[in-house]
Amino acid sequence: MKEIPDKNILLFRSCLVSVEYPGVESSTKFVFDKLGINYAISEKQTCCTGLGHYSDVFDQVSTSAIGARNFRIAKELERPNLVMMCATCYAINKKSVKLLNKKDDLREKINKLFDENGLAHLKYEKGDLKPTENIFHVVDILYNKIDEIPDKIKYDLSGYTIATHHGCHYCKVHYEDTIGGVRDPRIMDDLIEACGCKTIGWYDHKRSTCGTGFRQRYSNRELSFSATADKMNAIDDEDVDILVHLCPNCHIQFDRYQHLIGEREGRKFKAIHLNITQFIALAMGGDLDKVIGQKAHTVPINSIIKELKEVEK
Amino acid sequence: MTTQKITDTPIEFAEDIISDVKNSKEDGVLKCVQCGMCTSTCPAARHSDYNPRDIIERVLDGDISILKDDNIWNCFYCYTCHSVCPVGNSVCEVNQILKQFAISKGIGYDKLYEYMGFADSYFTAAIGAIPEIFFEDIANDVPGWWEFRQNLGEIRDELELEPPLMPSKEVIGEVSKILTITGFKDRIDKIRASQEEKNEGDS
Amino acid sequence: MRDDLKVGVFLCECGGNIADTIDLDEVRDALDVEFIGQFENLCSLNGRKIIRDAIFDYDLDRVVVAACSPISHEKTFQDYVKPLNPYLMDMANIREQCSWVHSDKKKATHKAITLINASIEKVKQSDAVDPIYCQTPKEVAVIGGGIAGMNAALSLAKQGTKVTIIEKSPSIGGHMAKIGKVFSPVKIAEECGMCLLNPILNELVWNENIEVLTNAKVIEAERRAGTYNLIVEQSPRYVDPEKCIACGKCAEVCEVEVPNDWNDNLSMRKAIYRPFGQSYPEAYVIDMENCSKCGDCFRTCNMKAIKLKRKPEKLLLQVGSIIVATGHKLFDMEKRPEYGYDRYDDVITQSELGRITGVNGPTKGKLLKANGEVPKRVVMIQCVGSRDEKPDGHKYCSKICCTVALKNANIIKHKYPDTDVLICYTDIRTPGMFEKYYKHTQENEVRFLRGRPGEVVKKGDNFIVRTEDTLKGEFVEIEADMVVLSTAMEPSEGTCEIAEILNVGTTEDGFIKESHPKIKPVATDVQGIFVCGTAHDPKDITDSIMQATAAASKVSEYNYGGVEIEPFIAEIDKEKCIVCGECIARCKYKSMSIQDDEIYIDPMSCTGCGKCLVGCNQRAITVNGNIDEKILSTINGVLSKKQEGERMILVFLDNIGYTAADNIGVNRLSYPESIHIIKVISVNRVRPKHIRYALDNGADGIFIGEFPGDLMYDEVERKIQRVKDRISEMGHNHERITFSKVYIPYFSGLARKFNDFDKKIAELEEGK
Repeated sequence: MKEIPDKNILLFRSCLVSVEYPGVESSTKFVFDKLGINYAISEKQTCCTGLGHYSDVFDQVSTSAIGARNFRIAKELERPNLVMMCATCYAINKKSVKLLNKKDDLREKINKLFDENGLAHLKYEKGDLKPTENIFHVVDILYNKIDEIPDKIKYDLSGYTIATHHGCHYCKVHYEDTIGGVRDPRIMDDLIEACGCKTIGWYDHKRSTCGTGFRQRYSNRELSFSATADKMNAIDDEDVDILVHLCPNCHIQFDRYQHLIGEREGRKFKAIHLNITQFIALAMGGDLDKVIGQKAHTVPINSIIKELKEVEK
Repeated sequence: MTTQKITDTPIEFAEDIISDVKNSKEDGVLKCVQCGMCTSTCPAARHSDYNPRDIIERVLDGDISILKDDNIWNCFYCYTCHSVCPVGNSVCEVNQILKQFAISKGIGYDKLYEYMGFADSYFTAAIGAIPEIFFEDIANDVPGWWEFRQNLGEIRDELELEPPLMPSKEVIGEVSKILTITGFKDRIDKIRASQEEKNEGDS
Repeated sequence: MRDDLKVGVFLCECGGNIADTIDLDEVRDALDVEFIGQFENLCSLNGRKIIRDAIFDYDLDRVVVAACSPISHEKTFQDYVKPLNPYLMDMANIREQCSWVHSDKKKATHKAITLINASIEKVKQSDAVDPIYCQTPKEVAVIGGGIAGMNAALSLAKQGTKVTIIEKSPSIGGHMAKIGKVFSPVKIAEECGMCLLNPILNELVWNENIEVLTNAKVIEAERRAGTYNLIVEQSPRYVDPEKCIACGKCAEVCEVEVPNDWNDNLSMRKAIYRPFGQSYPEAYVIDMENCSKCGDCFRTCNMKAIKLKRKPEKLLLQVGSIIVATGHKLFDMEKRPEYGYDRYDDVITQSELGRITGVNGPTKGKLLKANGEVPKRVVMIQCVGSRDEKPDGHKYCSKICCTVALKNANIIKHKYPDTDVLICYTDIRTPGMFEKYYKHTQENEVRFLRGRPGEVVKKGDNFIVRTEDTLKGEFVEIEADMVVLSTAMEPSEGTCEIAEILNVGTTEDGFIKESHPKIKPVATDVQGIFVCGTAHDPKDITDSIMQATAAASKVSEYNYGGVEIEPFIAEIDKEKCIVCGECIARCKYKSMSIQDDEIYIDPMSCTGCGKCLVGCNQRAITVNGNIDEKILSTINGVLSKKQEGERMILVFLDNIGYTAADNIGVNRLSYPESIHIIKVISVNRVRPKHIRYALDNGADGIFIGEFPGDLMYDEVERKIQRVKDRISEMGHNHERITFSKVYIPYFSGLARKFNDFDKKIAELEEGK
């Protein structure tokens, strides 16, 4: 098992979290604070290029060069542990660290460009960061503190039917590093159980994509929605109230387009969509407006969560 | 019947893929036994004519016409094939490399027109969120979304978050510079020029 | 003068194994010796003539064979150098420790030159000596009582050898007892497995030379003077097999029901039970983990056979040789949850299907789903956990699953012609005569789909198997009532445990490694230990029996031929010795004793470690073979080839460490070219002066490895610490010396340690 840090963390800002579900950021901070995890955010950090990268606009050299800059910022802040709220940021950054460490040609090419263009301060040295020791998703950090979660739980959410959707870019890209398996991914199921709830566990298409498929959602809408419909139908067959996510891109696909796909399938889907940090923050007593950020959600959270009852201590 | 020479299916195409910077699976592509597990788990294969197993077969056949095949653009980049391939190949990565090949040959430019916004936002704001070109569609599809985006600042305020991502000029300058020296800007300019040419041709 | 000796060097290409990586022309040019020649396959019989002719033609005094590891072929070449004394030949290991671990041709060539030069310098210090012949005890332990162990034991017993079978479970019989039907490729028919097993079992039970210990496992082993001392822990049955008449009344009254593991948990059994109808010993057994200790069985038993207070016993077993037949287990389906094995009752394994279709199984041979209905559509999935390099999978083909699936498909079709059976495969592997059975299966209307399914889900009453039909190029969902998984064979827990206890080598997949995959398929890399059956690799019953009888034959060879011992052991000058007994007290191997008022040294237990030398005030002990000088010359031979800027690390290993290092090459892992391995008779013979000499003369690092099971381990560790302390005082950095544990099975760990040490030394260089 990899060593998971609880300090010297740079919480890596995500473009989609920032502008689509800011409640994920506030919930992450809320839960991190509760669990005593030391983190900071940097103004200088920029986006990972993920959306552009997986739309084939960005080439690997440009993506890794942007990565090298962000890694340098983390090192300078003495916060070498990058922790991502978005599965794609996680996959992109981890891959860049791996490539920069392993592929001498790539590293030397980027460093040479930096050198020749007055950006020598951004150079990446082999081994500056280690893919398994410095690059994490928020769920990794939380999993490391899983034993401390039960003590902090305020509300009992066990009455809801809960399922998990583990983002592909957390589970499958760097599958050898994924906690809780990739074929029947369970890390979020375990975290939810630590909140005193049960999940439905396996369901058909549990490990399938959300259907966003980057360009598919915009350029190939029918294909995109067919894949999402597979999953939404399976979730509705299991009568799920809350689908828990770990990636803002999946979150958008489900929350923003649920009604549209419902019309397409002739079904009324009811599930609300929460990021795992929103779920835990809610269970720990986070306010729906001030922490969870419910106003950003398209499927109203209060369509399912009507009242909160405190756990019996 | 055709007579086939072994050299009719050049291995160079596969070797080009193996030596691409993106490839993390070493010579995984050469070890493919066409078992079809990739296709068995592929969302695009389930719902379209995309067939990941066939992609590898064509690569190993040296069939570079695949770069022009529209089907390659159907991959979701979900990495399911990558996470289960029993011989340690990754069609998902191979597919990404094929598209980069296509783009570098100018074949795939038209596939990128809609996504130029991802590049622009880096030069103007060093961020990469959804391009504005899609806003109208989203606003039509998702009730309340436009209003939400108008109120984003207030919502972030309520959550005690800083205003959304507005890096300093220095940061934007540095990022623009990086993307210029890597050749990214040239590539974008070229694609844009072809788009304009096409638009003129259309009009 | 030793420097004037005429040395001949013979370079082996090893059919490209060596010559493809090492430029032998360059090697020839780099070495200055009386004769140097290059040959395609030196170990072939032809090699004997080549070597002998050269010895005569060039009047050679010493010979260096640069080829594979001495572990593989030292004996061969000792024979080929006749009429030269066998100990005037030395092997430079340029295959396992050079061409197989390095890929950079230039560096590998230079390293080969260095290794050969070291051998040349070393062999000049050799003297003619004669090997010593010894006998080992004839008793044999067979570990594991499955079909392989049973056959090995029976073969030896029939040749008059006393054998003890040590079986972990309450009965011998192994997997074959539960397999249901078996088939032979020629007969094109399935027949009762138990009916074939029973005669073997009976014969074994009645053979006076065989003792069977069930509920027993080896927990400790040590080898001394050619004798293995095994400590066997036997758990009680709680039923006295001498008294029990297997009437079964005890089980009738027992109220505790637990899943029956012999039926793959598809039925229930009592806490007091007999594993299966023909199990041996013919007695019941209590599963104490589940027993409620109500005493009902005790009160019911007329024979007073129930003994609830028995405690585990430890038995000492002394044997001369061991056959490991600890078998396999099946792939754990938790590792591939997408196939739904843990979620759905009617997703089963081929092993479970064997139980279900077996007349002595949970359904008395009827093919039934959990709900009692006969399935109409059965889909089989091949290669589950095999040919799969993803985490927890196995890269190898489990070899038997194709034919097992064909067999079970035929059994279903014979009994239920209306049930459709479809096998999803990647390649159907039916080599040799098995191909005929494949054709028979096709004629039986079993259907085949070429594709590797991605997942199995349940929709309503149907299973859906998602796969591509790769021949049509179509993604399909197949409906089924029952799904059967052909799970991989992997080493059993017993196999992994015994490898560690006996310190025998394993493959990267965890199976017991044979000493040579082609020509020594039953010997292990430890003298006197042999392997057979699925502990060695996946195989079927026929192959298991063949290997078992081969192992028995090898044991006989060993028992009758005796053991040849290298003569590099301690010797007493009786004129000088005053029989003070100091040496007896010092010898960790207890090889010294007083017999007839003289010190006697047992040649089989003396390792030549030299510990006794230190305490002998009379200087009456010598260790044969010029060992100090050989080590020094070897070091010289390596360092004299050091090039500008080259990093040179000397690694000292005894036979065990050397075998582990060979295994790195055999498994084609790699380590840096700086690593130069020097084989010594005992690590204790590497003296402080050797280490100092090496560091003074250009060695950048010293790595000393020792097997923790060696009785000198603690001693050597302390000694190295002392050397480190002293080296610091002399101005060398003590970090240049490292001491490390080595184990034969953990060769990959050794490779990692080599890499780490090389990195550390490189950092020290940079720091300077």
